Parts: sequence; structure tokens; C-alpha cells
Amino acid sequence: MAESEEEVDVLVQRVVKDIANAFKKNPSIDEIGVILCPEARYNRSPIVLVENKLGVESWCVKFLLPYVHNKLLLYRQRKHWLDREALVDITCTLLLLNPDFTTAWNVRKELLQCGVLNPEKDLYLGKLALTKFPKSPETWIHRRWVLQQVLNQVSTLDHNKNQQQAEAVQADAERNEQLSDRLARTLRQEMKVCSDAAGRYPSNYNAWSHRIWVLQHMARGNVKVLHDELSSMRVWVSMHVSDHSGFHYRQFLLKELIAEICKRPAHTSTSCSPQRGCSTVPEGSPCPHSCSHSNGEPSGQEAGGEEDSHADFTTVLQLFHQEMDLCSDLIQSFPGHETLWSHRRHVFYLWDQWVREHQHSCSRGSDCKLIHLTDPDPGVPEISSQSCAGQGHGVNGQKHASEPMEVDGLFLPDPHNSKRLKRGVLLPCPPTLPTELSFVSSVLGGCCNTEQRHFALAYRKWLDTVIGLQS
Amino acid sequence: MKIYRLQKKVEQSIQEVMSVYKQIHSLPQPTLLREQHYQYLKKGLRHLSDAYECLDASRPWLCFWILHSLELLQEPIPAAVASDVCQFLARCQSPTGGFAGGPGQHAHLAPTYAAVNALCIIGTDEAYNVIDREKLLDFLWSVKQPDGSFVMHVGGEVDVRSAYCAASVASLTNILTPKLFENTTNWILSCQNWEGGLSGVPGLEAHGGYTFCGTAALVILGKEHMLDLKALLRWVVSRQMRFEGGFQGRCNKLVDGCYSFWQAGLLPLLHRALYKEGESELSQQRWMFEQQALQEYILLCCQNPTGGLLDKPGKSRDFYHTCYCLSGLSIAQHFGNMDNHYEVILGKEENRLAPTHPVYNICPEKVAQALQHFLRMPVPEVSRQPGGSGEDRPSDTAAASSSADLQS
Repeated sequence: MAESEEEVDVLVQRVVKDIANAFKKNPSIDEIGVILCPEARYNRSPIVLVENKLGVESWCVKFLLPYVHNKLLLYRQRKHWLDREALVDITCTLLLLNPDFTTAWNVRKELLQCGVLNPEKDLYLGKLALTKFPKSPETWIHRRWVLQQVLNQVSTLDHNKNQQQAEAVQADAERNEQLSDRLARTLRQEMKVCSDAAGRYPSNYNAWSHRIWVLQHMARGNVKVLHDELSSMRVWVSMHVSDHSGFHYRQFLLKELIAEICKRPAHTSTSCSPQRGCSTVPEGSPCPHSCSHSNGEPSGQEAGGEEDSHADFTTVLQLFHQEMDLCSDLIQSFPGHETLWSHRRHVFYLWDQWVREHQHSCSRGSDCKLIHLTDPDPGVPEISSQSCAGQGHGVNGQKHASEPMEVDGLFLPDPHNSKRLKRGVLLPCPPTLPTELSFVSSVLGGCCNTEQRHFALAYRKWLDTVIGLQS
Repeated sequence: MKIYRLQKKVEQSIQEVMSVYKQIHSLPQPTLLREQHYQYLKKGLRHLSDAYECLDASRPWLCFWILHSLELLQEPIPAAVASDVCQFLARCQSPTGGFAGGPGQHAHLAPTYAAVNALCIIGTDEAYNVIDREKLLDFLWSVKQPDGSFVMHVGGEVDVRSAYCAASVASLTNILTPKLFENTTNWILSCQNWEGGLSGVPGLEAHGGYTFCGTAALVILGKEHMLDLKALLRWVVSRQMRFEGGFQGRCNKLVDGCYSFWQAGLLPLLHRALYKEGESELSQQRWMFEQQALQEYILLCCQNPTGGLLDKPGKSRDFYHTCYCLSGLSIAQHFGNMDNHYEVILGKEENRLAPTHPVYNICPEKVAQALQHFLRMPVPEVSRQPGGSGEDRPSDTAAASSSADLQS
């Protein structure tokens, strides 16, 4: 079916308009796709809008894409003029069909910079493109550029605010709240976009890398967000046990969280430094300058460095223990998944490193004894005074109760609930080389899955050769 | 669970291929379909020299993939075609230095790498003369960042591929200075994570493509010994699939023919690095991966019967996979160090490919020839300061799409 150049021109212009109108008609479109339809029928528009799904019939793509692509290139080479609206529509069409076409994103960058487009539009367009092309590198790259513009805007406003000290405090607080609300919303949206893309393509490197970037740029040092992500990811990774990127994300969260916890100075009133400004989501409180405890609770209760470092230690231990527990549970429920074993290695390696680094600082106090990870017998938690509970005296100088902690596989007490820990509840035993070796033995003893056996043996070899040699 | 099911599916399809093969042949004698691949590549080559403005913004990459495949197959490139390619690549060169994905676009490190490699494969004076060395140096400075990394193009993002592209072109054309790569070593080292592999930027997941780029860049800079070589070795050897024989890009992912080069290509680099460190237990005949199994995977599972190579059974052929499957096959066939050369050819002798240079991935003679040519020239003077990320002007190349293949 040969189409004359003129016919193609008319067709394409119609299609581009149809797409633009579809968005005007339904601003809640949440997914795009190509409808397999090799021939045009009944002279109908190839653009189909059903509920919130936008479809393009496949027969028109071969006309649409080269034509629109070419038009844009000609515009770029100044051989053909396109007004702003046409540019917006054309780039939108192009990017929904081929989001790796950098030129189109660049045109939109220019439109954004001169105020014709608002950043939300591009975030929305990108989100749609990712429903069909969840890996698209250029889409993720452009997304980060847009977010950076948003962050720059916000911190400019913040900077201006700081300078205008004469202004009413009330107006300041409100504007602050608006900014932090906006950032919090943007953060949540990004997490959702990453999550959706991760679900659409297994082990989606670009989606997870983006997620990490977002946290690093929009929630730096925000312990609450890190904790929340760690909790909300439990379910996800439990349903995607081969998704190496998902577990790597957990490793990242763990590392950041621990770094933040250990960074806290030993004294209590730490106000969020003004330099950090509002370009990161403040820690769960309406006023960005209130200080909060490492796990999101209001501080001001305890005094003294040692007790704080003990609390830190217990929080860190909690985190590692929970992670190892999650890992064990998944390894046992889903035999033969290499990612789970790889995750276990990483968590254990992190723990091992952390213990080595903190051995010195922790042995300052006579009470706080750390177990060397290669000790033959760390002892049973309820009995041994050498156990990870550490101090002989609780925060208030009382001895520890011998009440064992509820350890039920995945469901350990919420790490936010540090108060409970301070009242002297016993802590779980830290992971050690012997406990890991016995875990391997128990897996080998119980399983008949060849892959599982292989991974268990490989883990043991790694423990012996890599970890064992370090001590 | 999706990955798990996919893995099982892939293993099944490969099992089918292997059993069909064994049914037809009493003794497995896998054959490299030389003639078919040559025809496929020849057709692709014809379109390379077309002058029309093409939609494809990866033209320098196509030049490299096709030319390198032909040189591995030891098929000559007609002089007229070589000249056409030179002229085309000249049009892809930006007036401000470096090469772009297509004529009239902005320079980008990936097509720059591809263009320089392609020109070195052609290896004529005409080819070498295409490269404007002074401007190329300017371009490299314009994408250099204070922390030692490079952005892929002005206004673009950083990742470790850029360091490799920069180091490769700078060393081949003799424009490399220590100042140009100041802090680069440390930046690349920070990309090595606990797993032993390298990630795209520090802090991310280890990945085959990025690991190769980071390691090869360090080899060029003479700093590969600063990596945790043992950890890297552990990581890469774990990436060879026990059942399929080919390599995966990351833990728990599916096999892909292109990793035959990105992953297996690390073993020659590591072998040499460990040898330089005084490692005494190294083999004198074999790389530290199953060479035969990789060859089997490529020959039995990655060939399109009508020519061209591919990711895995069921996927379509393309020039990228043709290039990297053949490159991986070459690595698996040839063991070599300073003192000796040892071959392991699976199947007929005709399956033998030319050896490839494990750092640049063009034939070693072409590397030597280029170095010889450019080392006669002085290193150009720097005409501008490092660009940082000053210019926000976006760059019009979609060349990232080809290197996106590294990210799957």
C-alpha cells in the first residue's frame, strides 16, 4: 500500500494531534502500548484510548516514526520551523514510540529551560514511556536531569528564604512545609516509578540505579526514609527472589543506614544543618529544623556517649539480624536461587567489616564486649553474659531481664522501637562464622535441590577462604 | 520468580539445540558459518557508505562492529569500501573534536571510541588522517570531570564506560597525558564493589560491561594492579553459566552471547595482571575460564543459520552481537602471553578466527600499526582547560542506545 508523501504528511499530522488530544481528554493515562494491527481499517485513527490506556495501532508506526523523527532533525538543523506547541506534541509522540531518541529529550530540555514546559510534564511523559520501555537509558537520564532542575529550583528558593530574614516566621514555615511536601511527594512518585519499572523487567539495572540516585539526591541522610524503604522492600524482594538488583538495593539501604546511625555524634541535640537546606526531604517532621533521633523518634532522653553508642550498636545489630533472618527464610522457602546466597554473602561481609571497624571504639567501655566473629561459641542469648546484649547494666543502671526477645523468623520488633531495647530486652545473637557454617550444614542436611547444594557449598567455600582468612 | 522461570526456559531451549545437534551429528563438530556471516556483514557494509541522512545514530558503532567482525573472519575489506567508510566517519567528526553518532550531531565518547577503532582497523593513511588529534584532545578535556571521571558527552552523565572510551582513543592516537587522566584511576577503583566486579558509577551493582570497561581502562593507564584482582577474578569466573557455557552479565541473570567478550575478555586482562604481580600458579596454556564450553555455546546456540550471531536461541541477529560473539569466540580460541601462543579450536580448523587484542578489541597487528603511526607525532598542546560540567547545552546523540546494550 504505497502512500504518497502528501498522504503520509496528512496522516502523521492527524496522528500527532490525536495523541495530544488523548492526553487532554484523559490526563490520567497511565500506560502506553502498541496494538498489533498490521493494516489500517475503516479509515479510523490508529490512536485508541480505553480507560487509562493509550494504544497506537502498529500499522502506522512505520509511517509515524521516521516522519516525526525526520521532522525533528530538520528542525534541529534549522531547515524546518516548528512552533512550540508542535514541538511539544511531536516530541511527545516520538518519545512514546522511541524514548531512546536523545534529540527529542534535548528539545524538551530547552522547552523546559525557557518555561514552555513544566517539569511535571516530562516526569509524566517519562513515566509513560517506561511502562513500555522500562529499561530505556535515555528516559532515566532525562528524568534525573529534570529532577535536578526541580532540586535546584527548591534550593534556590530555600537560599533566598534564608537571606530574607526579615520576613514573617509564619510565612517561612508555611513555605517550608510546601517545599518539603512537594519534595516528599516527588520522592514517593519516584519510588513508585522505579518500582513499576522494576516489576516490568527482571533485574532492571537502570531502574534500581535511578532509585539509588534519587535517595542520594533527595533523601540524603534521611534515616526515616531509609528505614521505610527497607521495610517496604521486604515484600517486594520476597516475591522477586532472583532479582539481584532488588537485593543490591537492600544492601545499599543497609549500608547507608548504618553509616548514618554511626555518624551521629554522641550528644543529643543535633539540629539539621541549615546548609543541607530543603533540597532533601526532612526527617518526618513538619519543621525541618527539629532534631530527631536516629530512628525517627524525638530525642533528648539520654545523656552520655557510651549509652548512645550502645543504642547504636543494638540498632545496627538489629538491622543485620533482621536482614540475615529474611535471607535465611527466603533461602529455605525458595531453594536454588543464587541471588539469595549472594545477598547473604554481602550482608555477612558488611557485618564482618562493621564489627572489625568498631571493635576498637566499642571496647572503650568495659561493659560493651563484642564477640569476635570467629569465636567458636558465642553462647546462647538467654544465658551468657558475654552475649551481644553487651552491657551488664542497662541504661538506667538495672540489670537485664532474662526475658528472651520474640524472635519469629521475619517478624522481629520494629527497629524504631528502641525504647524497648533500652529497657534491657535481650538482643539476638550476631551472625558469626560458626553460626553461618551451621546454617550451611542445616541447608545441606535438609535439601535435595542440586542448585541449592551447589550454592550452599560455594558459600561455605567463600566463608572459609575469604572470611576465614581475614581473622 | 520470573527470572527463575526464564532461566529454566533458556536452559530448556539450549538443551533442545544441543540434542538436535547431537542427533544429526554422531560426533559434535560445531561449524562456524563463515560464508553466511560474511554475506550478512557484506550487506551491512554496503549501507555504511550510503550518504543519505539516516535515522540511525549509531553509525560509527556499525562501522566498528562490521569491520571488526570481518577482520576476525579474516575477510578483506575492499579498498573502495574502506575509503567510503573513512569519508563517512570524517563527516561524523565534530568540528569541536570527537565523533558523533551521525553527521551534524554532537560528539559523544561512545561513537568516538567506535570511530577510532574502525579507522585503526582500516589502517590506511587515509584512515589515520581522518582523526583530528588536536580537536580530539580538546573534546576529551571538555568531558573530563574534576573527580577523575568523564561524562559521555558535554552536559551528559558519568559512567565508567567513558573512562575506557577516553583511554582507548587517547592511547591509540598518542594524545594521552597523565594530567588528562588525573584522578581517573581512583575514580575507577571506587567502582569496584565488594562482589569484585565494577559498577557503572560507584555504589551500584557490578555489571559485565562496566567491569570490562573499568578494568581495560586501568590496564591502559598501567594501574590494573590496584584493583582487588582476586575478588574480580572470583566474580567474573562465577559469571560463566554452568549449563549453557556462555556468560551472564550479572549474578542470576540470563546468558547472553555478547558477554562472551565483555566477561570472558576479562580473563586475559586478569591473567596478565596477576602474572605481573608475580603470581606463580598461572597456566601457560589456558585462560581461567572454560574455553571449550564458551565456544560450544557460541557455535551451537548463537549462530543464525542465514548469517549473523545473536544473544541466545530465539533472539534476532544484529551486528552488535555478531561482533561480540565473534570477539568472545576469538578470546576462547587463543591463549597468548609474551612468550607463547596456544590455541584451542572447537570443531574444524576452519572455525579458527584471528586473535583479538583484549584491551582494544581490534586485531593486535592493527593496534601495533596504529601505535607506530601515531607515536611518530608529538602529543598535541592543550588549547583549553578541563570543561567540568559547565556547559548545560544538551548533546544530540542517541549513540547511548548502542551502549545501552551493555546495560541489559
